[in-house]
Amino acid sequence: MTARAASVRPAAVRSVPVTALATVAVIAVIGVLLTRRGFNLGAYWFIGVGFGLILQRSRLCFAGGFRDLIMSGDGRILRAILAGMAVATLGFALLMARFVPDPSFGQLPPGAHIQTAGLATLAGGLIFGVGMVLAGGCVSGTLWRMGEGYLNSWAAMAGVLVGLWAGAKTWTWWYDNDISKRTPTWLPAEIGMGPAILLVLALLGVLYAAILWWEMRSPRMPEPAAKRPAPALSLGDYLKHGWQRVFTGRGWSYLTGAVALAILGTFAYGLQAPLGVTGGLGLWGDKLAGLAGLGALPLKGADLLAGCTPGNGATWLTIRTSTMTGLVIGAFLASVLSGEFRLRWSRQWSRYPQVVAGGLLMGYASVLAVGCTVGAFFSSIPSLALSGWLFGLALFGGAFIGVKIVRRLP
Amino acid sequence: MELDVRGEMCPYPAMKTKEWLPKLKAGEELILLTDHAPALSTVPWEGARLGFISDITVTGPGEWRILLQKAAAPIDTRRALSAIAERAAALAGE
Repeated sequence: MTARAASVRPAAVRSVPVTALATVAVIAVIGVLLTRRGFNLGAYWFIGVGFGLILQRSRLCFAGGFRDLIMSGDGRILRAILAGMAVATLGFALLMARFVPDPSFGQLPPGAHIQTAGLATLAGGLIFGVGMVLAGGCVSGTLWRMGEGYLNSWAAMAGVLVGLWAGAKTWTWWYDNDISKRTPTWLPAEIGMGPAILLVLALLGVLYAAILWWEMRSPRMPEPAAKRPAPALSLGDYLKHGWQRVFTGRGWSYLTGAVALAILGTFAYGLQAPLGVTGGLGLWGDKLAGLAGLGALPLKGADLLAGCTPGNGATWLTIRTSTMTGLVIGAFLASVLSGEFRLRWSRQWSRYPQVVAGGLLMGYASVLAVGCTVGAFFSSIPSLALSGWLFGLALFGGAFIGVKIVRRLP
Repeated sequence: MELDVRGEMCPYPAMKTKEWLPKLKAGEELILLTDHAPALSTVPWEGARLGFISDITVTGPGEWRILLQKAAAPIDTRRALSAIAERAAALAGE
């Protein structure tokens, strides 16, 4: 080993078993303490840990999904996300059909991420799309890479918090001029539950096929075949192989990650609300600003708002803050167990202002859209909301602009 | 030519490769230092598309050095791609 190799060692974890066990202990203790404050606070903490674990192991990067398709014609991540949303659509439909037996009545399913679809959604998607490409990851992507040891992502997160705060400060304008003037469109209320589910599944299928066709015009990197494990001859072998399949090697396929996320999202919705992270970040950003007397919560009209909202700001702990902090520690645990944790930072200094700017844009945009790629897209389309589609379309446009910008940057 | 892209995540390792390979003088090599596992497949892929063969060495835990050299003969894309994918999987699994 060279001197260089020795010098990077301190950046990695010294003892994997000790660090992993300590992390599991911390997760368990915090989880138990949170459940004493409220069952769901603890439950969403564990959901967040699962969220981080899934994202780290599958490298399911929403920003990458859009960016790679535009930049290099690689649609693998985006196709996996579409497939995941199809699974989540079925899961969410099961729950929503129970919550609202007759959708034509005009009542919206409680907790579902059904935002208004208007100017704020469109602007939010465009700005978010640019921001996520600049920052090198969307908000959830930034959170899991924070757990993996990317210092760039910590810088981007600082930008996200400030952006969320700035969004909250200017929220009233968007609310008065756009959001309050619209009623959220829930597809089953317009065309019935069955047709709405079929329509969404058909649209996802058509998009999947279109991306696949687009991708196949140039040769692609094939997925390496999973190594076939030696035959398991004992319970010990069997458990070892299972462990290796989850925690070692190159991780899970994008599809495995997206489907796992869809199942986790369905559980989360069954409990209270679908997955989302920006609500919690917005709350903490505002709480921090509040220490300097600059808080902006509660947002006007927030009681009527669906999606990933920061709440009224009365307390530091909500299901959203549990989710986002759990996500970071879950990704940390997964990266330690798979030997991938390491402190990493760019040697190119211009990258830092770039990722902070990207974070700022994402933070601001996720206030307008009441969510990010998770809360306003991956949780909205399965909620059978029109807003998720508009946000997704705008994200694509924003990512397109973002790629143009990134190509000109050093 | 040596590029230190440690700390950079996608798309930069592959993007820098694509940017610098055409600028190399005849016979010159490109060395890329990275600590981003996905770069183990994206960088050699960009290289193969531009007619470069890559050789990866492990320089530390989670750190790699990718050497890109101009191929003597034209590269068979199909074979090159599966070789790259397999090697990246083997390296990341170490």
